Amino acid sequence: MVRVAGLLFVLSHVLPHNSAITKSPTTPVGKVSRAGAAAPRRSYQSDVRLGQIVRLLMDHATVVVSGTKISQQIGTTRSQVWRLIQQLRRLGVDIAGHPATGYQLRALPDLLLPDILAPLVRGTIFSEHIHHYYKIGSTNIAALEAATAGAPEGSVFLTEEQTAGRGRSSRSWHSSRSAGIYCSVVLRPLLPPADVLILALAVALAVKAAVEEIGANLKVDLRWPNDLLLEGKKFCGILTEMSAEATRVRHLVVGIGVNVNHSDFPASIEKEATSLRLATGTEWSRVELTAALLKSLDREYRNLLRKPDAPGSILRRFSQQSSYVRGMQVHVDENGGFDGVTESLDPRGFLQVRTAHGMRTVLSGSVRPKPQ
Amino acid sequence: MNQKELKELIEFLKEQDIAEFELERGDVKVRIKRATPNTSLPHDARFVAVPAAPPPPSLPGHAPVTPAAHSTPAPAKEAPGEPPEEALHMVRSPIVGTFYEAPSPGAPPFVKIGDSVEVGQVLCIVEAMKLMNEIESDVAGEITKKLVTNGQPIEYGQELFVIRPRK
Repeated sequence: MVRVAGLLFVLSHVLPHNSAITKSPTTPVGKVSRAGAAAPRRSYQSDVRLGQIVRLLMDHATVVVSGTKISQQIGTTRSQVWRLIQQLRRLGVDIAGHPATGYQLRALPDLLLPDILAPLVRGTIFSEHIHHYYKIGSTNIAALEAATAGAPEGSVFLTEEQTAGRGRSSRSWHSSRSAGIYCSVVLRPLLPPADVLILALAVALAVKAAVEEIGANLKVDLRWPNDLLLEGKKFCGILTEMSAEATRVRHLVVGIGVNVNHSDFPASIEKEATSLRLATGTEWSRVELTAALLKSLDREYRNLLRKPDAPGSILRRFSQQSSYVRGMQVHVDENGGFDGVTESLDPRGFLQVRTAHGMRTVLSGSVRPKPQ
Repeated sequence: MNQKELKELIEFLKEQDIAEFELERGDVKVRIKRATPNTSLPHDARFVAVPAAPPPPSLPGHAPVTPAAHSTPAPAKEAPGEPPEEALHMVRSPIVGTFYEAPSPGAPPFVKIGDSVEVGQVLCIVEAMKLMNEIESDVAGEITKKLVTNGQPIEYGQELFVIRPRK
């Protein structure tokens, strides 16, 4: 991974040319209602019409829809419709036609638009507040800002392209346009911070389940704490950022980056990075995978909140599904660095490594296989 | 649910700006409705408490703030020089993890001794399992001591900084 110093808290403002699609505000359901905590105000233009056009064309996929009809349906002019169609084409949406003939989709677009995604994740905590960007610094920063401003639990931030995707210790995350899933969610668990740690492992299990649900024969490995690997190369990373006091969590932002349809990587990371497409030889639907991922995450999260035995289940499943938990010769990049053989997870989820000087607990360092 | 938990709940609702809250667990039922400056509720008194729940302490609007950890001692005889020990505030870690004083390796630390900090200002990061926890200051004042070093593993509840609260 490329190291980019100083990125972590600098890029708090997204670029001015961003446009955002935000689902129109919905009436809060359930018994918690917020006073004055409206959706975060954004300084850049919000254009829900792009999603509306795609939805409209999808609903009439077999016929040509006239520019006039579109302009009436979304309440704008025909020339605006033409401009928006051009914008969609630049994003890779395959639309046939021009103002004189009307428009038709040639293929279903694989854009992570709220209008497309929301119906697929109905019934989860993620269906009501999906925010989509064409380009953004980092979805984690957008989610953190929104969470600080009061964004509700279950808010989702997706982007087609990240200009400053982040990894651990300010490593950058290679985020090509529309090739990956760059997704951050806001959670507000009513749990003490110490009990939330295990969610770091649960998110990895959730993403693994989603990937294997679609790619049935894939053998995904988990590298402690939450990297997803195929053939020893990483295709998904997870970075969680928490704002907490001693006894309670204010909010938690879980950022998930998945390399889906990347066909290559910069030379500096090609030895350790892969994508689902490179590993399987076929294009994946990002929409389908994102929906599966959010549903799977919803399941893990609800279990953690409601089932007293959830932590035990997470530890057990992680240990079964990861080759890193037991018997691997590793180097750990923590506290000066040390070598050893992995032994197990402790009850909190930390990795135990047997070294020449006794058992050591890995809290946060990166763990890599060490050739014998 | 005891008095302390209820207080914490109310503080949480206030902080998150949650107007209404209802909880039913077994035979305990709690229902809280807060009046907020920007919503006028004509009937907010009706929902203050329901039977089966212990009466929450004076709810509407401005619930009493729980005594802060740095409770100012009763003005006793002024000790010359050193401020009284109780006046200093201790920042502790809410999780086990690795302590980072800066946002990234090589970057300047969030705070150093002698710095003046505000409530909510980030003091450091504690990382566990790629979960980065930003520790914020819960008081305004001056950093007088840093009790841990960069990259050090720390325990739950371990003391990280000493802050002399601003008067």
